[in-house]
Amino acid sequence: MSNQKKRNFQIEAFKHRVVVDPKYAEKTWKILEHAIHEIYNHNASGLSFEELYRNAYNMVLHKFGEKLYSGLVTTMTAHLKEISKSIEAAQGDLFLEELNRKWNDHNKALQMIRDILMYMDRTYIPNSRKTPVYELGLNLWRDNIIHSGKIQSRLLSTLLELVHRERTGEVIDRGLMRNTIKMLMDLGSSVYQDDFEKPFLEVSAEFYKVESQKFIECCDCGDYLKKAEIRLNEEIERIAHYLDVKSEAKITNVVEKEMIANHMTRLVHMENSGLVNMLLDDKYEDLGRMYNLFKRVPNGLSMIRDVMTSHLRETGKQLVTDAESSKDPVEFVQRLLDERDKYDKIICQAFSNAKTFQNALNSSFEYFINLNSRSPEFISLFVDDKLRKGLKGVSEEDVEIILDKVMMLFRYLQEKDVFEKYYKQHLAKRLLSGKTVSDDAERSLIVKLKTECGYQFTSKLEGMFTDMKTSQDTMQGFYANHPELAEGPTLVVQVLTTGSWPTQPTITCNLPTEMAALCEKFRSHYLGTHTGRRLSWQTNMGTADIKATFGKGQKHELNVSTYQMCVLMLFNNADRLSYKEIEQATEIPASDLKRCLQSMACVKGKNVLRKEPMSKDIGTDDAFFVNDKFTSKFYKVKIGTVVAQKESEPEKLETRQRVEEDRKPQIEAAIVRIMKSRRVLDHNNVIAEVTKQLQSRFLANPTEIKKRIESLIEREFLERDSDDRKLYRYLA
Amino acid sequence: MPPRASKRKSVPPNSSSVTSSDGRSVSNKAKTKGMEKVDRLFNTYANSSLGMIDPEGIEALCADLGVDYTDVRILMLAWKLKSEKQGYFTREEWQTGLKELGVDSLSKLKKALPELEKEVEKPSNYEGFYIYAFRYCLTEEKQKSVDIESICELLNLVLGVQFRPQVDSLVEYLKVQNDYKVINADQWINFLRFCKEISFPDLGNYDANQAWPLILDNFVEWMREKQS
Repeated sequence: MSNQKKRNFQIEAFKHRVVVDPKYAEKTWKILEHAIHEIYNHNASGLSFEELYRNAYNMVLHKFGEKLYSGLVTTMTAHLKEISKSIEAAQGDLFLEELNRKWNDHNKALQMIRDILMYMDRTYIPNSRKTPVYELGLNLWRDNIIHSGKIQSRLLSTLLELVHRERTGEVIDRGLMRNTIKMLMDLGSSVYQDDFEKPFLEVSAEFYKVESQKFIECCDCGDYLKKAEIRLNEEIERIAHYLDVKSEAKITNVVEKEMIANHMTRLVHMENSGLVNMLLDDKYEDLGRMYNLFKRVPNGLSMIRDVMTSHLRETGKQLVTDAESSKDPVEFVQRLLDERDKYDKIICQAFSNAKTFQNALNSSFEYFINLNSRSPEFISLFVDDKLRKGLKGVSEEDVEIILDKVMMLFRYLQEKDVFEKYYKQHLAKRLLSGKTVSDDAERSLIVKLKTECGYQFTSKLEGMFTDMKTSQDTMQGFYANHPELAEGPTLVVQVLTTGSWPTQPTITCNLPTEMAALCEKFRSHYLGTHTGRRLSWQTNMGTADIKATFGKGQKHELNVSTYQMCVLMLFNNADRLSYKEIEQATEIPASDLKRCLQSMACVKGKNVLRKEPMSKDIGTDDAFFVNDKFTSKFYKVKIGTVVAQKESEPEKLETRQRVEEDRKPQIEAAIVRIMKSRRVLDHNNVIAEVTKQLQSRFLANPTEIKKRIESLIEREFLERDSDDRKLYRYLA
Repeated sequence: MPPRASKRKSVPPNSSSVTSSDGRSVSNKAKTKGMEKVDRLFNTYANSSLGMIDPEGIEALCADLGVDYTDVRILMLAWKLKSEKQGYFTREEWQTGLKELGVDSLSKLKKALPELEKEVEKPSNYEGFYIYAFRYCLTEEKQKSVDIESICELLNLVLGVQFRPQVDSLVEYLKVQNDYKVINADQWINFLRFCKEISFPDLGNYDANQAWPLILDNFVEWMREKQS
């Protein structure tokens, strides 16, 4: 072999000489046109896809795209015009069916045509910025069918008619509706909206306007709301089944507006069935329905809330200012608790526990509970009743529940310091008479109060408990040191620290000799171990158990107050005593003595004494004897317990006065605290700050605050600024 | 220009040298002579055992001046003298005061009274005088308030001329109310401010929310009730 020379192979394209027949385009077009006809005439099976595609391809290739496209437009338009006529010709209900059928046909045809003309779709059309085939097909359908004069309005009215029929209870062909609507959607959202949705919404509004008017004339609130709910759900279902999901919000708005918003006020205030009636009758279902429906419209919930609030305030106001209910404090508080429970349940069950409703409930309670100035006292009495007997046998959890509810009421009080005063009094009585049902319950409540109000509030109360405990230990020590006293009367002393317990005046009372001696022994024992202290006997708070034998030999154990004991012991040495003699011997103050004698001589079942004359009142000339004929079913007879009672008017005034007095130093302390840190502050701000600081205890009166400020100025803690009279200055 | 008299360098020990504003020192002799007259005047009215003018002396002084004992001008005089104790003038107070007034005889003092009135009424002095009037009534040690009776008289005396209608109403009120038995300094000063600031008798611009003392709040309420 010789040298192989590298030579470049040049491969040349095979130039196929294409002879462009001048009639080529026309011929090719005719083939395609024919094909389109056939497709529309359901004769596509006889066509060769490959051949048609190639033809279209060649046309475009040879720059006859324009002809192809315009031919397509013309042909398709012509066909659509035919179709339009046939649709128009359809009678009655068949109209929609025909339209649908033709639409399906058109779609199928369109797809085939598009496939055939795909090359054009991809090259010529983008280049010349013409509408792609598929879209073109839709647009032509829209323009020639949907927007054709005869079809457009008929289509709309047919659709609306069907919707209306369905609303009035007929069953319609939903599939047909769905397809028709889908067609409109496919044609473009503006077609759907303009040709259907807008009129649909208008007609619906009209429909619901009429319907709601009809209902509201004949239905009560609950029924109306049921109907409204049903309609609303229907519309939502309708959307799901055959309308565009984007229409849901719009149609529900229409229903909400026509059926709910427009009639809201009338519904809420409907006589005998409106919101107030539902609240009164605990109609949870109706209330829940109202809540859910009104939630959908602006101001719906606030309307419910406002009506509920004003009703609650009104009811509450009547509750607390009702003279009858004020007679029994426990009843009074129980009714408040019941009312609160009721509304709590309503809000929980029907108003989905919404915070705004909870707040409305709380503010209403706060409003009316403070309308009665005795509320603090009554709440304390309620607690007292529970802790004495009401909680007997109640489980620990239930005790907690009740106490928590009481705390809720407590929180509403503006004058918490008044409550504190009464609570202290009542607690003292409970502790001293040993009448508390559960120590744990007592402590639990103290803890709750401490959490709510801080250490200051409860420190004295806790001091009281401590005293009780310490006293027990002291008594043990006393008897341990004096074993010789084990034979005599048993003394139980409770040593109370003055600051912690409610102040009591020391009243005179002569104890029987045995007791007096015993008490003296205790006093020396106590002072022996606690130097620098002073003891004063509180004879008005003590009790005694004495064994008595009556004329016919009946033996009883009498549980009496210390005063009563002093009186009874006198009869160990005398058969007959006049009032004056008793008074002299015991030195008990007249009013207390009279009460004491009354409880022993005038009360059936407790009349261990006999009085002459037998009148109900104690006169200074009365004479007293032991009632030898005294009988009782029980061995142990309780006479005159020191029970906490609702205060009498003068007592109430006295307590109120003491509270006012106690407030003065608190206000002053607050003023000084504020001025010390601010140095200079104007009048209105001082008032505001002081009020805020004292809020947790009581509502400070601006006039009172002013008085305190003036007092502080006089005592040179503060001064007025020399230029601006409204400014106060702290004087260090 | 005539030569100025030079300052005397040596100053006699017992008397204080007074330099007037233009730099001339008062001649000793003249001063001592002036002081003597003032002193003598003092002695005329002073209670010799006390060493100061006592209420009797003041009464006598008033008689000589032709002025009533209760006249406000005596109070003004006391103010001018910066008298500490009501009813008494000490020698020092007398001397300093009369010197201020520039008088050394009874007749001159009498003539100075109208001018004194004008001086007191000057806005810059008036408030000071007003407050002084109150303090002057605090006769006991540690006394901080003045009884209602005296206050009413004092109001009449001090404010009566300028604020007659206010004073009349206020005095009437003070006599009928029983919230307060005495008036303290803070309340006193606010009476004046009240008269100056609040339109009377309509009380249109009185705002109880401002820091007026409570007694004035009550007074306004009482007035409004009366008017309705």
